[in-house]
Amino acid sequence: MVHDDYKEMIPARALSALDAAEERVLNEHLENCAECRKELEDWQATAATLSLTPDPAEPSPQVRERILSEVRKDLKSTPEVIPFRSTPRRNIWSSFGSLGAIAAVVLLAALSIGLAVLWRQNQKLERSKDFVELVNTPGARVSELSGVDPGQGATAKLAYDRTGRAILMASKLPSVPQGKAYQLWFIVANKPPVPGKTFVPDGAGNAVLKDELPREAIDANVFAITVEPERGSNAPTSPIYLRSF
Amino acid sequence: MQPEDDVKLLKAIAARDEAALAQLYDRYRLILFGLLMRILNNREEAEDVLQEVFLQVWRKAEDFDENRGRPFTWLVTLGRSRSIDRLRTLAARDRVAEAGAREAVEEISDAATDAFKSEQRGLVSKALAQLPDEQKRPLMLAYFDGLTQSEIATRLGAPLGTVKTRMRTGLMNLREQLAGKGESFGF
Repeated sequence: MVHDDYKEMIPARALSALDAAEERVLNEHLENCAECRKELEDWQATAATLSLTPDPAEPSPQVRERILSEVRKDLKSTPEVIPFRSTPRRNIWSSFGSLGAIAAVVLLAALSIGLAVLWRQNQKLERSKDFVELVNTPGARVSELSGVDPGQGATAKLAYDRTGRAILMASKLPSVPQGKAYQLWFIVANKPPVPGKTFVPDGAGNAVLKDELPREAIDANVFAITVEPERGSNAPTSPIYLRSF
Repeated sequence: MQPEDDVKLLKAIAARDEAALAQLYDRYRLILFGLLMRILNNREEAEDVLQEVFLQVWRKAEDFDENRGRPFTWLVTLGRSRSIDRLRTLAARDRVAEAGAREAVEEISDAATDAFKSEQRGLVSKALAQLPDEQKRPLMLAYFDGLTQSEIATRLGAPLGTVKTRMRTGLMNLREQLAGKGESFGF
């Protein structure tokens, strides 16, 4: 597909009118094309003008009250943020000369490693927080997936809500060969599996994947994971590694 | 109401300012609720989605990037997307209201809505009226009924390629009609 083919699809994408397969292809392109992303933003602004055409309508006053009441609950439950307080600087290194400089380099390296570890831990925490937040959304559901041979021992939980937001947290996944990745599938009864995103676990076999249930999979009640080529497949090509029951 | 004011409000919301959220709600509730009623045709569902939208704004205001579009576009895209999702869920459960039996909406005078938006509304309606019906229908079916191009082709009994062309041309024509009408639309 050439660049112009993608550009032709953008107005329909701004109206969310692309069929699922086309939308998936375009979304992959958008990840790597700033020009098309900008164009999509412009078309979305055009599409948004259509929202002005229905007659304005007044919701009941209770809606405002309910929103603000939820917000107050949220504010009360948010822990107070304690600002980071810097300690007074002491010019300790100048008195140690070059020895001090070496120590400073060692300390800086240790700090960098420490920060990298903290950053990773923070990322994991963020993802876990997203998962918990999604689970707590009204109407959200959680499906448990268990490994079946060849994925025996692996486990995963998939949280999703009625708007299609979905987060998968998996652990003890066997590593995948070079050029391959795990792929999530959404299964609606009597229909072909709908492809989800691909992902690769970390060295410990853990993975977190944020996905969106495609429109045609909004009623999916069975989920499965297979091993596919890195870019993903339109239909499963390997045995199931994990599935929900 | 100017876009930069909306940006300030979103920044304040991202900083957990409850009053800013209330202000944004007061600014946009009529337009958004009108849109949600047009899509869902059910007051209870529309109010539920309106609440979801503003709670999402509360949680996600920090994700808004003013370099990537206007607050109005962001808000409306969020509202439309949520209501189309809800529409599909309702349709899947066979609870969707009968087409044609539109729920009565209390009429709101233009004086009650923001004058700036009222003017924009007039411009968009005029621009849409200039579009040939064959271009306008695919746009409306996509935007308000959440249909994909294939579904629109089936609904209209037209070839898919024709629907794609008409939809694209329709949106391009709409943009051309609105371009040069001040900088109010953000494109």
